[in-house]
Amino acid sequence: MAVHSERVQTQSPGSGKAAVASTDEIVASGAGRTPKSGRPAGGPRVPARLTPYLLLLPAVAATVLLLGWPLLKTILVSFQNLNKRQLIQHLTEWNGFENYTEQLGSADFWRITGRTVVFTVVNVVLIMVLGTLVGLLLNRLGKKMRLTLSIALILAWAMPVVAATTVFTWLFDQQFGVVNWFLDKLGWHSMLHYNWTSTQYSTFFVIILLIVWGSIPFVAFNMYAGLTTIPKELYEAARMDGAGSFRVFTSVIVPIMKPFFLATTFLEVIWVFKAFTQVYLINKGGPEDLTRTLPVHAFLEGFGAQRFGAGSAIAVLTIVMLATLMAYYFRIILKQEDEL
Amino acid sequence: MRRSLIGRTWPNAIAVVLFVFFIFPVYWMIATAFKQDSDVISRTPVFLPLNATLEHFDKAVHAENFWTYVSNSLIVTVGAVLGSLVIATLAAFAIARMRFRGRKGFVLVVMAAQMAPWEVMIIAAYLIVRDNDMLNSLVPLTAFYLMMVLPFTIWTLRGFIAAVPKELEESAMVDGCTRTQAFLKVIFPLLAPGLMSTSLFGFITAWNEFPLVNILNKKPDVQTLPLWLSSFQTNFGTDWGATMAASTLFAVPILILFVFLQRKAVGGLTDGAVKG
Amino acid sequence: MKRQLIAAVGVAAMVVGLAACGSDGKKNDAGSGSSSAAGAKNYSGKTLTVWLMDGSAPKGWTDSVKSEFETTYPGAKVDFQIQKWNGIGAKVTTALSEGSVDVLEIGNTQTAGYAASGGLLDITKDKDALGGADWAANQNESTVLEGKQYAAPWWVSNRVVAYNKDLWTKAGIAAPPKTLDEFYADLDKLKATPGVADPIYMPGQEWYTYFGLLTTEGGKLAKKDGDKWVGGLSTPEAQKAFDTYKKLQSYSATGPKDKDEATPQQKDVFGKGDIGSIIGLGWELPDEKTMAKDKIGFFPLPGKTADKASSVFLGGSNLAVAQASKNSDMAKDFLKIALNDKNEGLVAAAGSIPNKAALNSQVAGDFAKAALPAAQNGAITPNTPTWTNVENEPNPVKDFLTSALTGDYAAAAKKADDEIAKRMNQKQ
Repeated sequence: MAVHSERVQTQSPGSGKAAVASTDEIVASGAGRTPKSGRPAGGPRVPARLTPYLLLLPAVAATVLLLGWPLLKTILVSFQNLNKRQLIQHLTEWNGFENYTEQLGSADFWRITGRTVVFTVVNVVLIMVLGTLVGLLLNRLGKKMRLTLSIALILAWAMPVVAATTVFTWLFDQQFGVVNWFLDKLGWHSMLHYNWTSTQYSTFFVIILLIVWGSIPFVAFNMYAGLTTIPKELYEAARMDGAGSFRVFTSVIVPIMKPFFLATTFLEVIWVFKAFTQVYLINKGGPEDLTRTLPVHAFLEGFGAQRFGAGSAIAVLTIVMLATLMAYYFRIILKQEDEL
Repeated sequence: MRRSLIGRTWPNAIAVVLFVFFIFPVYWMIATAFKQDSDVISRTPVFLPLNATLEHFDKAVHAENFWTYVSNSLIVTVGAVLGSLVIATLAAFAIARMRFRGRKGFVLVVMAAQMAPWEVMIIAAYLIVRDNDMLNSLVPLTAFYLMMVLPFTIWTLRGFIAAVPKELEESAMVDGCTRTQAFLKVIFPLLAPGLMSTSLFGFITAWNEFPLVNILNKKPDVQTLPLWLSSFQTNFGTDWGATMAASTLFAVPILILFVFLQRKAVGGLTDGAVKG
Repeated sequence: MKRQLIAAVGVAAMVVGLAACGSDGKKNDAGSGSSSAAGAKNYSGKTLTVWLMDGSAPKGWTDSVKSEFETTYPGAKVDFQIQKWNGIGAKVTTALSEGSVDVLEIGNTQTAGYAASGGLLDITKDKDALGGADWAANQNESTVLEGKQYAAPWWVSNRVVAYNKDLWTKAGIAAPPKTLDEFYADLDKLKATPGVADPIYMPGQEWYTYFGLLTTEGGKLAKKDGDKWVGGLSTPEAQKAFDTYKKLQSYSATGPKDKDEATPQQKDVFGKGDIGSIIGLGWELPDEKTMAKDKIGFFPLPGKTADKASSVFLGGSNLAVAQASKNSDMAKDFLKIALNDKNEGLVAAAGSIPNKAALNSQVAGDFAKAALPAAQNGAITPNTPTWTNVENEPNPVKDFLTSALTGDYAAAAKKADDEIAKRMNQKQ
């Protein structure tokens, strides 16, 4: 949600670069920063060495208690046979790696995993490309038009996911959907009673449209906020050198906005990979489970079927998968941290 | 450098198309909320609810315990957001401005914590709360919501703090401020947009949460609005009109917050570029 | 919630009529109390938590039960908590583990599952006191597991054909059909009538109707073979039932083959006024404002011959006491009151079928009167703990219907049978 720009221009003069750094949660205060040392340490009462730890204490405590503990419990449960009966009677039945072997040995699980990865990639690429374009467009529009478009984007962003999903199911309804009605009016008559949820690809089309629709505003606003911090002189210099729009984009905007791209992509990968409501509510993973993704799988097997052990095993596997996908980013972060 | 007429027109044309694309689902939600039942499901779409009705809103607002849900939702959401802001600001300052052993590890944890699959960790969270006799209370709920938004908040605020030039802080300290004073007087005011935008994220997350509250709090007096929102779905189908009216009302606080924050946090949207 | 509308008038009449019986009922209770030391003590501060599903209890029923109970237990309170359908499975399970609910309503196909998981109190000894000797046999089946009584039947309801009288008149149909062939002929006439979108609206995944047809043919969704369950869709009976289902569904041009009757709600579709008929429950009907009550007629789905209607799925609810309840004696007495003749009469008056045949005469409303005869040859899903696994989404029977309607029967049946077997043989 880091939409911020004006502050930099009005309050921290001479640091156009710092503005972008505010969006770059990952790369944070990257290269070219002031030297690390040579600052008098904090208050006199607490030894300076302890200060950072004291500051982190509440966050660490909260994380250990509220995230670490449930996570540990999830891992423990994933080695148990925990169904209705065990839950109701407070029984603990260990069953070793059974939940894992069941999942890892099932062709469905691997199909779902592969599908989830492709699904994430498609969505994130679309979101980043289109979001960037919308951000560029915002930058180019006149004041009134920009405000108008911003309002639409804000409304789309603020709409509760459950409500948005409900509306989309209905826009694409076979009998009463506006989309089919509209396509028919456009002259595409075979679409009049088209059943969007009848095939894998058409269902995914609706889901992806919904996710992209809801995700573009975040990217576009951030992109736009970042763009406003790029000094005009940079564009002009590039144009003077004879660069066209595309060159300006690749040689001026991209380098400055790189931290933004990295940070936003990171977040979007996580958010899309974990997207549950949209995928589940559109068609419950159907037809024939062909749009089931990992979070939906974990929910249906764990919560829906009340086999909590199996569900927890899928959850743990989901974390492992996501961490693998994210390894690249983690490496970047570690590198950046070294430079700080 | 004057652009040609076409060059000036196409962005506007695209903007109009995008405007319709983004606003239509929102419009459809609101319009449906006002429609008569017979217009809600209609073979020819009714685009303008000319014979509007308030009956769906009436039904939504007069659902049992509605105001209890509203106040619980506000308590839980505001509590989680404020709590995470305080905790996150402290932590973000440490990792953005200080060097110490374990810092890298903490940053990694913050990153990784954003991947937590809460949807499926809920049963574990439930078991913990149940076994500690804390069911039917707003406290664990608020705490878990706080945790759901904490990593993102730390991460984002850290970026904001890092963006404040160190020179500002240092000059304040040269002027005799302690580090705490320097933080409060120099950095904190500059953090306003960051605090606003992260609180918006936190608000939306906590405000929407359903599965956890559904099993932790079974007594109506400690339940929240998402349960109300889903109450217009039954085994025999969804009451569209009421669901849309409820969704509209449900989105109102977020919209208000957005409009309010728009000035502070999203201020650049309307005039930022022009000034540049 | 909707169902009450149908018989709102009826209920009002009954409430007045029953006021007199009320005192009788109370006297009986006091006399038959096995565990109730009622009246003697002061129960102030005690609260009995009762979970009912959204839209289940008829209007007036909760008030009647509440006041009767609170008179029997002076000072005690009944807290009716209406449960929403969304996310109910895990909610009930967790509640049973906490003891935060004393009495709860459970769907009759789910009861065996919760009984086997140890969540429900064994009330075998209380059966007679609850009036169990007179319970309809086909309703009591679902409450018994391995010879023990884990719940009491509350009500059942079954689907019938609801038709738009105006459209049927327009199509020149004089009387409701008595056989399936007559029904098909009527549907053909409707199809040829201008202004009729669908002679019958029927989504592809209406598995309750398929279940009825399957029972009619003598088939079962699953059978026990030794100690293993096997799916029953790859049988000639299942195929015959499916052929009938397919024929009926083929009259529904607008009914999506991959959706069930809830998406969109068939009452909304029927309410458009251009649908000849639907197969549904009493509360799946448009409200009075959308379609006047006297415009809707009802008849049971006919069978092959005029002497026997098609069988039906006998869906319904039972009331059970939670094993973890801290007020189990009070809870049992609550059941006695909730299920006494007066309160079951309210259920009947609201258009559901009560748990005793003797009360059937009180069943009110056109819908319920059409439903009652068909209920006599109704059946439920296999009464076994693992059946509920099959009903979890994605329900293989629903997927089977979609696949078979759009593709090869044998392959669809095989796939569904495998899934049914897998789920029903799952370790608990």
